[in-house]
Amino acid sequence: MDVAKYLSSIDIPAENDEEAKKFLSEKEAAIKESILKHWEEYSLTNPQPDKVIAVETPAIPLVKEAPNQPEEEKNETIIANPVSVITGIQNSTPPQPAILLETKQNDAFDRQIKSKTIIMPNGKANVEYKYLFRIEELGLTDIADYWFEGFNKTGLSFNFSTNEITGVPIIAGDHKIKLKIKRKDWIEGKPIFEREITLIINPDPKTLWKNIPTPNEIEYFKPDCAKSFIRVKAVTNVLGFGKNARKDIVAASQRGRSHAQEGKPRDDDFALKYLKEFDWYIITVADGAGSAKSSRKGSEIACNTVMDVCENLIRVKHTEFERLIKEFSNDKTGEKRKKMGDSLYHIIGTSVFKAVKNIEEEAKLKGKPLKDFSTTLIVSVCKKFKFGWFVGAFWVGDGGIGIYNKETQFLKVLGESDGGEFAGQTRFLTMPEITQPTELYRRLRFDIVDDFTALILMTDGVTDPKFETDANLMKVEKWNELWKDLSKEVDFSDDNEASADQLLKWLDFWSPGNHDDRTIAILF
Amino acid sequence: MRRLPVYILIQTSGAMRGEPIESIKVGLEAMVASLRQDPFALESVYMSIVTFSREPEQLMPLTELEDLQIPVIQQPTASGTHLGEALEYICKKVDEEVQLTTPDKKGDWMPLLFIMCDGRASDVQLFNQVLPEIKRKHFGSIVACSVGAKTDIENLKKITDKIVSLDTTDSGTFRQFFKWVSVAVSVGNRSVGATDEILLPPPPPEVHSVI
Repeated sequence: MDVAKYLSSIDIPAENDEEAKKFLSEKEAAIKESILKHWEEYSLTNPQPDKVIAVETPAIPLVKEAPNQPEEEKNETIIANPVSVITGIQNSTPPQPAILLETKQNDAFDRQIKSKTIIMPNGKANVEYKYLFRIEELGLTDIADYWFEGFNKTGLSFNFSTNEITGVPIIAGDHKIKLKIKRKDWIEGKPIFEREITLIINPDPKTLWKNIPTPNEIEYFKPDCAKSFIRVKAVTNVLGFGKNARKDIVAASQRGRSHAQEGKPRDDDFALKYLKEFDWYIITVADGAGSAKSSRKGSEIACNTVMDVCENLIRVKHTEFERLIKEFSNDKTGEKRKKMGDSLYHIIGTSVFKAVKNIEEEAKLKGKPLKDFSTTLIVSVCKKFKFGWFVGAFWVGDGGIGIYNKETQFLKVLGESDGGEFAGQTRFLTMPEITQPTELYRRLRFDIVDDFTALILMTDGVTDPKFETDANLMKVEKWNELWKDLSKEVDFSDDNEASADQLLKWLDFWSPGNHDDRTIAILF
Repeated sequence: MRRLPVYILIQTSGAMRGEPIESIKVGLEAMVASLRQDPFALESVYMSIVTFSREPEQLMPLTELEDLQIPVIQQPTASGTHLGEALEYICKKVDEEVQLTTPDKKGDWMPLLFIMCDGRASDVQLFNQVLPEIKRKHFGSIVACSVGAKTDIENLKKITDKIVSLDTTDSGTFRQFFKWVSVAVSVGNRSVGATDEILLPPPPPEVHSVI
């Protein structure tokens, strides 16, 4: 460069290059400082267009420009915290041009991080959590280092070598986790970027259920659980040696968690009876509709009425009834069957009809709609004869009743479940069509069967979790599972008084989403 | 496990544009957080979020509460409020997603539908056509939440008699509304709202509705 010429043009009388060079070398520092100062002022008001474009195009890796700006990397005067970096332009002291550029880059990077969809799958308290976090999937470039903050309280941790978030979450809730990012060539004083991510840990539903006792003072109070065992003693056989065990009945009823949660009463009910003189068993379970306000009374009236009426009618009619059963055992078709059926209809049908009448009376007495007392009902009367067991049954609503023989794998389901299109829909005893003679008759079942492992009556609080579908109720495999499950907790040996408590305890089994009242009665 | 399907239909156009949409997101998150505290909800609620302006869009298919994360609700780019088309879309989704009882399948609880809109329908003809269809879908309950001052309540009355209205559209108001929705979904028979007392019959596990 012709320094002398330049100097003379600004009226500095440097005659030759020698003198000019001497001047420059002596005053170099001052000149450089002065020029730099002016250059900075100039570049602030005239930003270089090509670099601005680069900053505003996030697709182009931002930091790749850094090598062209070596000074800014070494610049120690960089503003310390990220907030002021982002808002650097508004700072009262004008920032240095190199900083300005980096500010814009950082700003863009920050926006990029904030706009990314970062999802961590929800976890569940006390259940192992594992999630592979791939930061490269976010499409962020030039990340030198990253880590998380906020895991320490959750029971989870981030393993940098495997990129996994693992652990067993201990606290449920919406946890705010911070993803911290250092960009490439980070040194002390440069910003650390941050993105908040919400990690949802679901509570363990088991810990959320409350058990609020039903207030004593409510109308139609009913204890939250009930159990019963009827022991039918073994008889010594004719020759005076050996014992013939006879079947006992056990039943238990437990308020569902959905009711316990709100301190609401149990709607289910049951009743059992063994008529010693005649050797007849009467068993019934009922499920008051959850949506009906006084259904717990409906189920109670139904069970008690059926019990009383059946008992009375068996007392009065047993001779003729048993004669017809005997005849039916010899000829299970035609006339004999019809007569037998008519006789059973007379006993169970009358009891069912009377149950409805009693419920109607109660409704009228209290000035409540009959619907408020809606209940399902399953009834069975049975007796052991020399030629086998006679089992008669009536069933309206959901739940189930079946004769099950573990050894022979015999299963007879005594009727059909009344289900609707949607969950919870069924038919009730109190519906007008149920007491129509043909409808009553249609719902009767009876048969003479060989000895069996158990006759089981259940409300839907048991059948829903254990059988799930109507089709499954007809499968002996499902009954095998049920029996296996029951036998784990209930000792079904003869005359076992403790079986009632064991059965009640069994009813507390856990099944997600199935928290209805549960009632089960077993003849075994 | 029986599912309780919950559909939330949100209008993003018209009176819902802007602040209400932002508030809804806050409200939805609060609702979900509250539902997570209810063990029955946690084990049965499946939720779907559908938005609509000119066209309906399912932001989230029926998703188990446990896995659910509230999606981003975008402001609409086009104008128009096709409520009829949106309801038709909901019917279609219900047909596809809600399981009815069959001998081999366990049926869902009757679905619930919550609609948040200003009640206007730019597609009047379709709107009127789809009304009987909505009735046939057997929703356990349909609640319409009218938003803003210029709402068409008469239109909403054609859909349901359970209508609540929100006068303001700040996040606090929506938080309150969704808090109630969560109660309606999980607990049941409660009353709320600026209009009449609402008795929602959401089906807790033991409810047997009458066929």
